Amino acid sequence: MSKSTALIFGYNEYTFEIEKNIRSAYEHIYILKLGSDGEDSFDLSDNWDSLSQKVNIDDCLAFCILEDMAENIFLTISLRDTFSDLTIVALSEDQESADKLKLAGATRVIPSTQTTANVIVDILEKPIATEVLHSILYEKSSLKISQITIEDHTLFDGKYPTDIEWSRDHGIIIMSVYHEDGSSEFIYSSKASHHVVQSGDIFVVVGYDKDIKEFEKLIGTKCEK
Amino acid sequence: MIKSLIINFAYYLDTSNSYQKTKRFFYNLLENSDYKYKKYFDIFMMILIFSSVAILIREVKSHVNDSLLFFNNYVISFIFLIEYILRLWISGSISKIIISQHEHDVMLGDKFRLSKAIKDILFSKLKYIISIKAIIDLLAIIPFFHQLRLLRIFILFRVFKLFRYAKSIQTFTSIISAKKFEFFTLFIFASIIIFMSSVIIYVMEANNPQSSINTLFEAVYWSIVTISTVGYGDITPVSAEGQVVAMFVIISGIGVFSFTTSLIVTSFTEKLDEIKDLKVIDDIAKIKNFYLVCGYEKVAKEVVQKLIKKNKVIILEEDIEKVEAAKREGFIALNYDPGSIHSYKKLRININLQVKAILCLSHSDVENVYTALTIRSFNKDIFILSILKNKANRNKLNFAGVNEVFYEKELVGIIAKEFVGQPVAFEAIHALRSNITNIDIEEIIVNDRILQSFTTVGCLKNIKYRIVLLGVYESAKKRFLFNPIDSMLLEKGDYLVVIGNTQFLKEFNTHLHTKVSK
Repeated sequence: MSKSTALIFGYNEYTFEIEKNIRSAYEHIYILKLGSDGEDSFDLSDNWDSLSQKVNIDDCLAFCILEDMAENIFLTISLRDTFSDLTIVALSEDQESADKLKLAGATRVIPSTQTTANVIVDILEKPIATEVLHSILYEKSSLKISQITIEDHTLFDGKYPTDIEWSRDHGIIIMSVYHEDGSSEFIYSSKASHHVVQSGDIFVVVGYDKDIKEFEKLIGTKCEK
Repeated sequence: MIKSLIINFAYYLDTSNSYQKTKRFFYNLLENSDYKYKKYFDIFMMILIFSSVAILIREVKSHVNDSLLFFNNYVISFIFLIEYILRLWISGSISKIIISQHEHDVMLGDKFRLSKAIKDILFSKLKYIISIKAIIDLLAIIPFFHQLRLLRIFILFRVFKLFRYAKSIQTFTSIISAKKFEFFTLFIFASIIIFMSSVIIYVMEANNPQSSINTLFEAVYWSIVTISTVGYGDITPVSAEGQVVAMFVIISGIGVFSFTTSLIVTSFTEKLDEIKDLKVIDDIAKIKNFYLVCGYEKVAKEVVQKLIKKNKVIILEEDIEKVEAAKREGFIALNYDPGSIHSYKKLRININLQVKAILCLSHSDVENVYTALTIRSFNKDIFILSILKNKANRNKLNFAGVNEVFYEKELVGIIAKEFVGQPVAFEAIHALRSNITNIDIEEIIVNDRILQSFTTVGCLKNIKYRIVLLGVYESAKKRFLFNPIDSMLLEKGDYLVVIGNTQFLKEFNTHLHTKVSK
């Protein structure tokens, strides 16, 4: 279920970039500075009463982006301790802090250094593939990546995902299948290719906006945020 | 008339491609240690030297075949003579001296002074001829005149020529010569001791009938044998005074010996890092297609770790501690300032021929801008990628000539957007990018070999290999065709953008490059 409020803990250059990119997805975005003074501030004292009074935590997603990794981990563990169901996206500097943030209860960790290195290496080693991926991911072209939930499996009549001519019949390419446990499988992995298409399956597809919309109309709806 | 002929001929030589090419070839062969064929030439010359000495040794007590003697006296000497002439030729440019003198005189409105030019030419060639290496080369040719039997001992000078060909000997001499002042002091000290002790022992022992020291030469011989701690014992002092002198010389000898040893050891220790660096520089000169990483910090470490799997990577870093940290990771790191032109000159890196791309990965925008500007000042074409730490500096990096500016915070923002908008798609792309599930994206260039068997997209049979063909990048039209139809014709230079399991990708690549019989 989509949330209407985003909480960004930390005031730095990451804050502006994240705020800029998620602005359209949330009704309210609160930027909270580390410190004890002011309304829009927080401390690491484990007392989140004022925050709970200000926002409905169940309707929030939190970004922990403090640049000091020790403080960021402490913030994550503090939030998780108080709000067990809160979705926390945390920024990590390296793999070591990423592991600690996961242990601290972060729902998703963005390892900044590793991601940066991955993209730099991709730009150098696979410039075309990277350009294509970026145009899909960052919506620079009409190509999109989307996730589609199958609502009516009878359309596929007990077929396996690899048996269906997605690209020829629908103009889209299925990349992976999303499982209930939260993991995703590449379409040609043995697990995914031996799984009969069922209602509730989520497919990650790449295609032109028009084709994706037509496909959604045909088989189901785009997965909710 | 003659002057004008000489000038014209000098200009002709200076602009003649074939002449310059030939001269450059011989220069590379004889002097350029980075030239790939030089080592074969050096080995060949060393074989000649050793065979020459072997023949000399054999000749002392046995009869040597006439053809071998001919080979030693004429063939080898002739090769050395040719080498000497070639070295003399490449030691300077006569045409350049003439042209330079001519241009100088024309500029001043004077007549061309041929005599001045000849003087300069003679001076430059004489400077080479009287160099130690050239003298050794010349002495090594002398056995050519083998009729003069005494001159045959000059064959041994050929051994000295090894200095030219064996780099380790050159390194050793350079180490020793770095301490020449200390060695000179030691030599003076030892000479004084030898002189004094020789004279004293001669005075004390020469008139003693029991003593075997009868001449000054024997006294000097005894002193040298004793001070060097060799002590043959063939000559020994018999008088008490002589024995006192002997004790003095023995003690001094221990000092001289230990001082010499410690000098050699310290010179090696001091030069060890330099020697290692020189070795690395030599090795780098031979590497082609490597990435040059300027600045070693967290991002650089991650990038190098990934790049090094399939590429050679060289790191330049000014901070010695960071260089050491990089070396501990097993990377090739050099303590050179990436923002200095001098560093690239010293490292003898040919950016155009050797470097794939330059990555400015310092965590300081100032340093990255400086490095990019330095590189752009002598190379306009190389691809430069730089990370950006402060958004306000983006334009400065662009002005500095960086081709790709990478702003980490912007990436984090976009990732956050993807995560918020489409978490499942985000997971899929993240998995693809980090290759954690062994699923990778690759681009395969369509070459002649692939085209021989696969002319259309439909022929590729990617589904059989469990590969997703995302699309084809048409190089000629510079556009990406997503999900192309089966009948699309492939062209040379196109790229197939494919996704699949790493192992299946390899198999698919092999399948594409395997000729299919039609």
